[in-house]
Amino acid sequence: MPILTETKKEEKVYRQLESNTLLQQIMFQYMLEGHQASEEKHLAWVTSGFPVEIPVAMGVGVSYPEQYGAVVGSQKVGPELCGYAEEIGYSQELCSYARSSIGSVEKPSESPMEGLPTPQALLACNNICGTVLRWYDAVSEQTGAPVFLLDTPPIDGEQPEHHKEYVRRGIDRLVDFLGRTFNATLTEKRMREVAALSSKAIHLWTSSLAACKNTPSPLNCADRFLAMAPVVSMRGTDLIIDFYQTLLDEVESRVKNSIGAIRDEKIRLLWDNIPPWHAIFRFFNGLAKRGVVFPADTYTHAWSGAIEGDDLYESVVSIYSNVYLNKGLDAKVDKMCELIEDYNLDGFLMFSVRSCKRYSLGQLISKELVTERTGVPGVIIEGDMVDSRVFNEAQIQTRIDALLEMFI
Amino acid sequence: MHLREETVLSYEGVLEQSAANLRQLLKDGEEVIGYIYPHTPLELILAHGLTPSLLRALPGVPGGFEESLQTFACSYIRNLYSQRTNDQMPSLAGLIFPGNTCDSLQNLFDVWRFRFPDDTIFRLTYPVTRHEKDGSTVKYLTTELQLLSEAIEKSLDRPFVSQYFERAKSLIGQFRKDSQYLYGARLLDPSVLSYTDLCRLARAFLTTPLPVIGSEIYAITSSVKEKMKDMGFAGTVDSILRALKTRDFSNIDNFEPIIRPRIIVTGGMVEPQAIANVITGIRGITDSVLVLDLLSFGFKTAFTPPLVTKGTPFEQMAKSILSSPGEPTQEGLIHRVKYLESLFDALQIDGVMICEQSFCDPDQFEAPSIEKAASKHGIRTVRIPIDPELSDRARMEVRIQSFLESLSKS
Amino acid sequence: MGKYGIGIDIGSTTAKGVLLDNTLKIISDFIMPTGASGSRAVEKIMDEIASSSKLKLKGIPIISTGYGRTRVENAEQSVTEITCHSVGIHSLNPDIRLLIDVGGQDSKVIRIGQDGRPVDFELNDKCSAGTGRFLEVMAGVLGVSIDELGPLALKSLSPATISSTCTVFAESEVVGHIGAGKDPADIAAGVHASMAAKIASLSKRVGTVRPVCITGGVALNPAFRYYISKQLGTELWIPEKPQFTGALGAAVIAIRGLSG
Repeated sequence: MPILTETKKEEKVYRQLESNTLLQQIMFQYMLEGHQASEEKHLAWVTSGFPVEIPVAMGVGVSYPEQYGAVVGSQKVGPELCGYAEEIGYSQELCSYARSSIGSVEKPSESPMEGLPTPQALLACNNICGTVLRWYDAVSEQTGAPVFLLDTPPIDGEQPEHHKEYVRRGIDRLVDFLGRTFNATLTEKRMREVAALSSKAIHLWTSSLAACKNTPSPLNCADRFLAMAPVVSMRGTDLIIDFYQTLLDEVESRVKNSIGAIRDEKIRLLWDNIPPWHAIFRFFNGLAKRGVVFPADTYTHAWSGAIEGDDLYESVVSIYSNVYLNKGLDAKVDKMCELIEDYNLDGFLMFSVRSCKRYSLGQLISKELVTERTGVPGVIIEGDMVDSRVFNEAQIQTRIDALLEMFI
Repeated sequence: MHLREETVLSYEGVLEQSAANLRQLLKDGEEVIGYIYPHTPLELILAHGLTPSLLRALPGVPGGFEESLQTFACSYIRNLYSQRTNDQMPSLAGLIFPGNTCDSLQNLFDVWRFRFPDDTIFRLTYPVTRHEKDGSTVKYLTTELQLLSEAIEKSLDRPFVSQYFERAKSLIGQFRKDSQYLYGARLLDPSVLSYTDLCRLARAFLTTPLPVIGSEIYAITSSVKEKMKDMGFAGTVDSILRALKTRDFSNIDNFEPIIRPRIIVTGGMVEPQAIANVITGIRGITDSVLVLDLLSFGFKTAFTPPLVTKGTPFEQMAKSILSSPGEPTQEGLIHRVKYLESLFDALQIDGVMICEQSFCDPDQFEAPSIEKAASKHGIRTVRIPIDPELSDRARMEVRIQSFLESLSKS
Repeated sequence: MGKYGIGIDIGSTTAKGVLLDNTLKIISDFIMPTGASGSRAVEKIMDEIASSSKLKLKGIPIISTGYGRTRVENAEQSVTEITCHSVGIHSLNPDIRLLIDVGGQDSKVIRIGQDGRPVDFELNDKCSAGTGRFLEVMAGVLGVSIDELGPLALKSLSPATISSTCTVFAESEVVGHIGAGKDPADIAAGVHASMAAKIASLSKRVGTVRPVCITGGVALNPAFRYYISKQLGTELWIPEKPQFTGALGAAVIAIRGLSG
């Protein structure tokens, strides 16, 4: 009997991470804490690029609608939830994270986990895109919770002084807003503690990411997309330090023993953009069967700025203004070329996400530039990260096949 | 009420006329800076001895964007890009793009810079925050304007001249004052000047902001003022204007609507001329039904407040831009909705036409909020999906006509 | 109120005419393909109505509607098909509050007020998914005629999934299903379910208020009726001559006027 099980295990092309169990536990706990915070009227919804360390340091609980969007996508109910938003008048052309979020607030009983717990405030930072403000304004209309926008205008090159000053004033107003809304205070001591925890987690996480420079890569795309959840939504807590240490240990052990995330690594590619949550395993494991692994991607490499230094707020201003999506096309191209070089990649796959204009527009240019500068081929496939109605399998298959044929 | 005696130009006619004005200007050796976003500091460009011209999406532009932009880029920027790649743009000395307004426009600059490396382009980045009390948005935008001025001087070898700036303030200020009056008068009596004419005048000025065009608008405004005085409406128009500018609608003189229904059209970077053209193209309907637009190139441009006299020129312009009517690209949905709701009762509005540009995030996020607000006041709305090519014109007409039919039974 | 009224509906596929008397009884009606010339269609319609009613049509007010409504020369007024369908259905069944009209190239959902006039409406966007065109394309791919498509779909107990909202993408999904050896009945059922879902979401935008009526060419398709009824969770009422409701409404308006 055991022999049969052994053989069965052997047949799987992709290797499950042991730390996944711990990951699930943490995310579950996180969800419970969110509900509790909401009941205690101490919950804010936050965008993924928001300087979350500040509300955390002020004792505010946080929930992540974007992460909820990923859940909606992977539970394959994107079309339904987006549909609820469309029924109340939101165009199908809008961001599917926003639509599914608005849809879940509209009809929580028809939504996974009954939607996110009710917020008392909505905190948006537009360093990831301009849509978040309008999305959160819509949710504010639905829930009555006030919105605070931290405005980080997009930067070209070096962050100018007047920009730093402007964002700094925004941080001051944020602290003020949180103070008034939640009757909370921010102490230097607490801020340092939270920043230190956040930095620690980020350092551990980026070490795991960097380990993928090895051949075979210890992590594949899907692994990283799942494993990044805590560092996105629970930065600043000590709960996640353990997880990232465990993950790093497992990753380093794989590297030591030359164990790859996929069994038969033949081709190493870069992935660009948010993944198709509704098909994430099918898609990446399908490619794994053909020996294709993704040691790096632009999405998980966005979470690498740690708050450090004497002036923490200066650090916050700098890190959160200079995120990948806030820097323009040139910087994106630079980053992609850097990843291709550092991680020794053979090519790249760009996902043109229909409902994400910030990330996707410009790909037609960056595709050309990346190939020009690195010499490796790439291909663009079209779809959406949550709305599975927009995913042309046949077209995707053809394009990927064409790319892979270039490596024969 | 008698309309001004003149040949009514077709849409194509209006486009051709303003294009001709621009061509003449270029022929005369003027250097023109094109701009895209409505809240661009015209006074600054004029202060550098350059002429600012609003570049618009146009109907009848063949494709070409496909090489650089996906179909889910907003239809407005796709159109602009296609014009450029088909060499259909006038020969400009420079082009100003906005930053931090929406993701399509944000990407357009980067794409343009790569595809057309020989074009002289600038980007003015706007703050999205409004309603703060620490003065940080004014400071930020003031610096951005200063940097823009320096960049223009450096690239085009044209310095900022105070004298030009003062003249520009007066020219642009007068245009806005006159346009505001025309908007106010039409709210009381929409037949005193057709919406089509109002659009034509605004378009002409924004394409080539010259004293001669400013004078024409001034003359028409004076004649409308006379008519209002003759009809005893002068005071009422003033009270309406005050309300629109101060956002306090409690002191408008009572008035009996002359024509019904009274419709507002809302939307972002949608061409007012196109709206006017579609409406007048429907048999049996005149544009007197449209008493007000809240469009970016219409109302929101006209009702930009005059420059204050205190502070540096850049500070003056920053303050003016930041106190213009709010856009969906900014913070402040609650305020925008409140403004709209005040208009409904005070100005006796019967319906709202909500334009949504194809793949325009700001328009499409704002539309449901407008619907909700209107519905709260028992006012009917209709959605008008629109793109610069007016590709779905037949359906637009059906929607508008059906909407008006549903209002016409009182 | 005049003694008679004529309604002419020039659609993109078919042209219809209705002659009513002032008790709103249908004296005469006629339908034909619009063809290349809307004005020739109008002439033919008027001839047919004249000969079958044996009346002199001169002086009888005409209201035109439909895609080609502005080109009917003798029409007193052109009124949109939204208002006309609403009035037409109301004259046949005044209880109806929601009207779904699915034509060859257009779909609309109309909320009918107590007086028979529309209070709200939604049209399909530019895309052809959710119109008769969608079914035509899919029938073509499945190799059946449009009349056979509905009955084929009704044979299915487990519809295939067609998730794309775009006709072009959906077509390649169907091709995929055929290649995978799925039962054509299941594929046909999936096509109808998908279309019904699109129409249902259009209807939810306006607010599904019962009772619900279906008109338009696609109303004659039994599978579509089955799936839309299921999607909306309601029974459907269908007029005897679903293609004539626009012209009927126009004729009612010709007699009663628009503000009557």
